[in-house]
Amino acid sequence: MPPIIEMRDVCKSFGQTQVLHNINFSIDEGEVVVIIGPSGSGKSTLIRCINCLEMISSGTLIVDNIRIPEHRRKIRDIRLEVGMVFQQFNLFPHLTALGNVAFGPQKSRGMDKSKANEIASDLLAKVGLADFHNKLPGQLSGGQQQRVAIARALAVNPKVMLFDEPTSALDPEMIGEVLDVMKSIAQQSGMTMAVVTHEMGFASQVGDRLIFMDEGRIVEEGKPGEVMKNPKSTRLTEFLGHVKHH
Amino acid sequence: MGFEFSVITDSIPALLEGAKLTWIITLLGIVGGMIFGILAGLGRLAGSEYLGEAPHNTLSKTVSTIIRYLSGGYVETIRGTPIIVQAMFIYFAFPMLVKSLTDIERFRIEALTAAVITIIINAGAYIAEIVRGSVMSVNKGLLEAGLSLGISRFQLIAHIIGPIAFRRMIPPLGNQFIISLKDTSLFIVIGVGELTRQGQEIMASNFRALEIWLTVAIMYLIMTSALAVSLRTLERKMKIF
Ligand SMILES: Nc1ncnc2c1ncn2[C@@H]1O[C@H](COP(=O)(O)OP(=O)(O)O)[C@@H](O)[C@H]1O
Ligand SMILES: [Mg+2]
Repeated sequence: MPPIIEMRDVCKSFGQTQVLHNINFSIDEGEVVVIIGPSGSGKSTLIRCINCLEMISSGTLIVDNIRIPEHRRKIRDIRLEVGMVFQQFNLFPHLTALGNVAFGPQKSRGMDKSKANEIASDLLAKVGLADFHNKLPGQLSGGQQQRVAIARALAVNPKVMLFDEPTSALDPEMIGEVLDVMKSIAQQSGMTMAVVTHEMGFASQVGDRLIFMDEGRIVEEGKPGEVMKNPKSTRLTEFLGHVKHH
Repeated sequence: MGFEFSVITDSIPALLEGAKLTWIITLLGIVGGMIFGILAGLGRLAGSEYLGEAPHNTLSKTVSTIIRYLSGGYVETIRGTPIIVQAMFIYFAFPMLVKSLTDIERFRIEALTAAVITIIINAGAYIAEIVRGSVMSVNKGLLEAGLSLGISRFQLIAHIIGPIAFRRMIPPLGNQFIISLKDTSLFIVIGVGELTRQGQEIMASNFRALEIWLTVAIMYLIMTSALAVSLRTLERKMKIF
């Protein structure tokens, strides 16, 4: 079976600055790929290119047989297949938790309201927020907001989920509840996931593959346990030392 | 000649007629001004990431650029000229222009129509800036969250940018509505029988400046307060986050 996501020689520049250099990588269906690397190394840019929040500058991106740049008009189809969770949650502040989660199925999948609410209600229960339907984002803790955001992305029924540092904006005591939800999505639903995170415990427990990025390049790649135990490059050795101490 | 209360009671029916006209011009003007303002405000943002995807192909880039320049030109022209000149232009100069460009012999614009049009285009330009500023103040992360769910640009504007930006527009809109209401007093120069004009006419016949202008001022104050209170109520109703 072909990989569900593939990047061939992908470069990305913002104006004069090149941020991604000839990225080649793929993700198979059901795989959980964890991406690590120092700040500014291009992790966010890489995963934002996958759902076309950033347009690749050159190379080819293939998501579920949709090719970019050739099928540029099908960006919305890619986004229906690829859900995204952001560091800052980005919940719609004017909608309740239920409204946030029901939004996708109703607007982008065209479901009627009662069906969308049913899906949303199930998903909120799944992320442990069954009693929070009518809360506005401002009334929820960071961890609760992020769990609503995960449910919101899942509600569109994507094949792939992208997570961009989903726990970096959270107070330490809330990180666990969000990682637990992500773990159950990976292990119970077999969801294909690309996760940018510095949570090395999550990476080794849940990740099938670890990617280390530095200065816009994929520097190392492999089974999380092995890569962490035997880093080949000095950059990764340094980086791992840094992460462990924090 | 002391303060005569009866002067006020005698003048009230005529002043109320004027106030009614002021109110009509204002309401039509701000409704039309909202339409112009929303179109021109969004127009100034055409092709920007604030309205979803930045355009990729040259045709849509060109179209966005044209829309942006047209909207910008409109806003800057109106903001850069006095409203009284705009009223004169629409009432006196525009019919001349039409006559010189076409065969139409008797082209005229009613004074009241000219007044309403003036408020529409004038308020529209300021409202455009209010709309633009509020849309730009919407957190970009919310736009990305919307786009990443696979919704269309129209849905993004209608369901996310619109509702969030609208809440932030209410206070400056209230301000603009009040300014527009007071601006209607300038239409005294094109002979519209609005409140200020009515006051002026009564004053010219009885020379009771104190009583008349006091009454006129209070009537304006009542109308602007009504606008302020309704906007404040709307704001409170919508302030849920
Ligand atoms: N929209 C943008 N415009 C210009 N430069 C950007 C933009 N987004 C990211 N960059 C730059 O690209 C580089 C990689 O950023 P990013 O992908 O956010 O890194 P990471 O997520 O690994 O911290 C950084 O140098 C950053 O400044
Ligand atoms: Mg980042």
